[in-house]
Amino acid sequence: MKKHLRLLPFVVPGLLLYAVLFLYPTVTALYYSFTNWDGMSPSYQYVGFDNYANVSKDIIFQKSLVNNMKFMLAVVVIQTIVSLMLALQIHKKSKVNVVLRALYFMPTILSSVSVGFIWSFIYDPTSGALNGLLTLIGLESWTQNWIGNTAIAIFSIAAVQAWAHIGQMTVLFVAGLQAIPPELVEAAKLDGASKVGLFFRITWPLLAPAAAIVVSYTTIQSFKAFDLVFTMTGGGPAYSTEIISTYIYNAAFMNYTFGKAATASVYFLVLISIITIVQFKLLKTDRVSY
Amino acid sequence: MKKSYLLSLIIVFALVLSACGASNSGNKVNSSNNDGSKQNGEEVKISFIHWRGEDVAVLDGIVAKFESEYPNIKVETQVFPSDQYQATAQAKLVDGSVGDVFTSFPGAQFEAIAKAGLFTDLTSEEFVTNFTPGLIEAGQKDGVQYALPYQLVYNMPIYNVKLFEQHNVEVPTDWDSFLAAMETFKQAGITPIAFPGADIGPGQMMNTMVMNNATDEDIFVKLEAGEAKLTDEWWVKTLSQFKELSDKGYLQKDAVGTKTDAANALFIQEKAAILGTGSFQLAGNKAGNPELVQGLLAPITVSEDEVVFEGIHTTTFMLAVNSKSKHPEEAKLFLEYLSRADVAAEYANGTGQNVTVEGVQYTSDELKAVSEWTTKKTRFQPRFTISNAEVQKAITSSIQAVIGGTDPQKAAQDAQAIVDQQIGN
Amino acid sequence: MLKWLGRLLLISFAIIIIGPLLIVVFTMFKTTPQFYSDPIGLPTQLSWHNITALFDKQPMWTYFRNSVVVTLSTVLLVLLLAGSISYAIMRYGKQAIGGVIFSLFAIGLMVPSQVNMIPIYSLLQKLGWSNSHLGLILVSTSVLLPLSVFMLTGFMKTLPKEILEAGEIDGAGEWRLLLRIVFPLSAPYVATTAAFLFVIVWNDLLFPMLLLSGKDKLTLPLALLQFKGEFMTDYPLLMTGVLVTALPMIILFVFLQRYFISGSLAGSLKG
Repeated sequence: MKKHLRLLPFVVPGLLLYAVLFLYPTVTALYYSFTNWDGMSPSYQYVGFDNYANVSKDIIFQKSLVNNMKFMLAVVVIQTIVSLMLALQIHKKSKVNVVLRALYFMPTILSSVSVGFIWSFIYDPTSGALNGLLTLIGLESWTQNWIGNTAIAIFSIAAVQAWAHIGQMTVLFVAGLQAIPPELVEAAKLDGASKVGLFFRITWPLLAPAAAIVVSYTTIQSFKAFDLVFTMTGGGPAYSTEIISTYIYNAAFMNYTFGKAATASVYFLVLISIITIVQFKLLKTDRVSY
Repeated sequence: MKKSYLLSLIIVFALVLSACGASNSGNKVNSSNNDGSKQNGEEVKISFIHWRGEDVAVLDGIVAKFESEYPNIKVETQVFPSDQYQATAQAKLVDGSVGDVFTSFPGAQFEAIAKAGLFTDLTSEEFVTNFTPGLIEAGQKDGVQYALPYQLVYNMPIYNVKLFEQHNVEVPTDWDSFLAAMETFKQAGITPIAFPGADIGPGQMMNTMVMNNATDEDIFVKLEAGEAKLTDEWWVKTLSQFKELSDKGYLQKDAVGTKTDAANALFIQEKAAILGTGSFQLAGNKAGNPELVQGLLAPITVSEDEVVFEGIHTTTFMLAVNSKSKHPEEAKLFLEYLSRADVAAEYANGTGQNVTVEGVQYTSDELKAVSEWTTKKTRFQPRFTISNAEVQKAITSSIQAVIGGTDPQKAAQDAQAIVDQQIGN
Repeated sequence: MLKWLGRLLLISFAIIIIGPLLIVVFTMFKTTPQFYSDPIGLPTQLSWHNITALFDKQPMWTYFRNSVVVTLSTVLLVLLLAGSISYAIMRYGKQAIGGVIFSLFAIGLMVPSQVNMIPIYSLLQKLGWSNSHLGLILVSTSVLLPLSVFMLTGFMKTLPKEILEAGEIDGAGEWRLLLRIVFPLSAPYVATTAAFLFVIVWNDLLFPMLLLSGKDKLTLPLALLQFKGEFMTDYPLLMTGVLVTALPMIILFVFLQRYFISGSLAGSLKG
């Protein structure tokens, strides 16, 4: 009882601001999912669950779900593994490592819109850097229509998303690695642990909280990767890079069907919540304690 | 000891900064309230929002002259690229404090804003007569003039006049001679058509490709009413012709992955004979390569005797007054100023865009080359007759699909499935 | 063997990072015709015309000042509020209320901005805070609380409980526990979170665009939008803008990197 009262002043100010400026508008927005509001007019009508039925049957929405899952899986796998590998290499204190960490973090500093612009150029099939480079080193058969080929476009964008955020996740992993008490590592080595054994028995379990944050944040980030997709392909070609956030944008601002946009957002919320909960369970973060 | 000291410093700093922010905004709120009440002879500030980043310099010059003619009116311009414009315009317009004068696209955006009642009725304003009557219909609804299109654009491919002359190619007048011309360029190692398949290419070229395949000017209206289908002959034929161009190698390699800037670059470097976009690009191309000599060319998709339309035109960048504006009279004064022939000429010659205002003298070669099209039989851009944005997207996606290798019949079916869903709702 | 693979990884990734960034730098020195004739090659001369043009066309120093004010205020406010909230959640331990508060904030992470941006805008209108830095700061703070609470709580939960228990036994109140024990221990985490937040707020386009309209109030990223036209993008100017906008962040990060994560801080975690 007393604890509640003691801790209240810590929670109330932030919670109040959040409730007024975030939760309340969000609830308002979600309420529109039961209407056919177009986002501008003063009047609208209630349509009950019509939007929910229509959006779930919408061919484009279904495509966006599939694309989003592909995108998310590609980004999470690439980003988590590469950033972990990098972190393992450069977490120790040294001038070189500090420089490398700063270098890898650079792309995160650029806005997604800028990153989208830059990579649109690199991916251009005729005059872009990537195909140009491949041809130069004799790998012309590897050149692709990176963002024009409906089969690989979404993965090309996933690669860019990973490029932009690996540095960020590396920083997180490094923080986690540096928090591991060196005595534990020493003790394990004295007990004769091999490098691999060290990683799986000591490093990985203690890294679990950081890993959980990396994986779930990457997941959520990849679901919200609107700027990048929008700048690079706008959802095309032929809907192959349409993801849920672009669907919501188009529904709200291109097609003036705000009700449907709100409905898609509800589906979006539910989907991410489920995925995040599953991830936390899988990574079993609560199990770890000193 | 040190850490908590640091922390308190930070807290104080943050509070001070927030207070600074607060006092700034406090002043602003007060002064904007005062603006509302200071009407007669006192300074009035109106907000002008649009999406043409290319035109900022020229428009700023025009605004400066307007302000010297009306010293008590200040115009504050804000430009957002068209995607952001679509997203933020609706929210800002409803409030009335932004966008006393604003611009709208024809078609879906126009319909939506009209439905929301955000346009001021301009029908009885005198300056409306400054515009060419046939060119301001896109801003009319049920006989009321809600917005005035300012730009006149021809959505037809641009061709490199010198390259055509060098290779003895005449402007083709039917489909077979068009294909033959493309073959000539391909053999000579020149990309026949630079096509930005990743963004605006499909939406631009679909117009000339379909204008003679479906001569009914309301064909897309009928499509949205369920009376016509994309799986009918007129669209399947159009898709097949796109596929033909791609299969025969008349588009640059991997056209669906090429964006506008890359396609422009090909044309500017004179590596391509035709650029598959529209007249809006003429000035930009010239700026990139002053040696270019350009003209407009419409692919004729049928035989010579079946030709009904010679080209496509659009009127866009529609100027309007926000119905929620607190300074409608001043806003209208700005519109009146823009509609004067000499001012419109300044805009046109500065930006390289043709305008809808009567009696404008064009000084650049590009603008003059385009103005000869006003005498030809052109059709209003079919794409802008589509009111549902998802339907439009399904149509342009079907073009991307066939260029990417999908069978035209299948692509048409896939697109029609989406159309059915959209119009059934 | 493993060591060489590791080195290879580091070098290849460094190249993958530097390559595209070099292209941005190259573009900054080109004129538009040069850019179109050779998009990715070296510039023919080191001309600074784009930088002068940028500062001429746009009130860059005003934008810079606005960005600094908004970013600093937002980040400090977020750290203050989120830090307190995360502390409380961590202190609640297994009690249900901790989980409830955490979930409330975690849910916020999953809300896409397109959905609540219009209602937020209308609300701000009604409160009279439109076109004000204060409104923007408060909105940005609320929007970033979920992420910050999420990250800080995750970090704080890894802190050794014995230290806090020891503090409690010594009779320290919650404030003291937070300031004297938790805050120093989580310094690298707070710094990491701060780094993330700085970048997010500095680069934010959506809310400044929506909530600010006067030219004297706009932030740096909005300046970039001015160069993107309907059909033509002035790439050299745009890339110059991208670099100029990113420069303060780069300088800040390089300068403060020593304080963010370094081996010396890890030592203090031993308690």
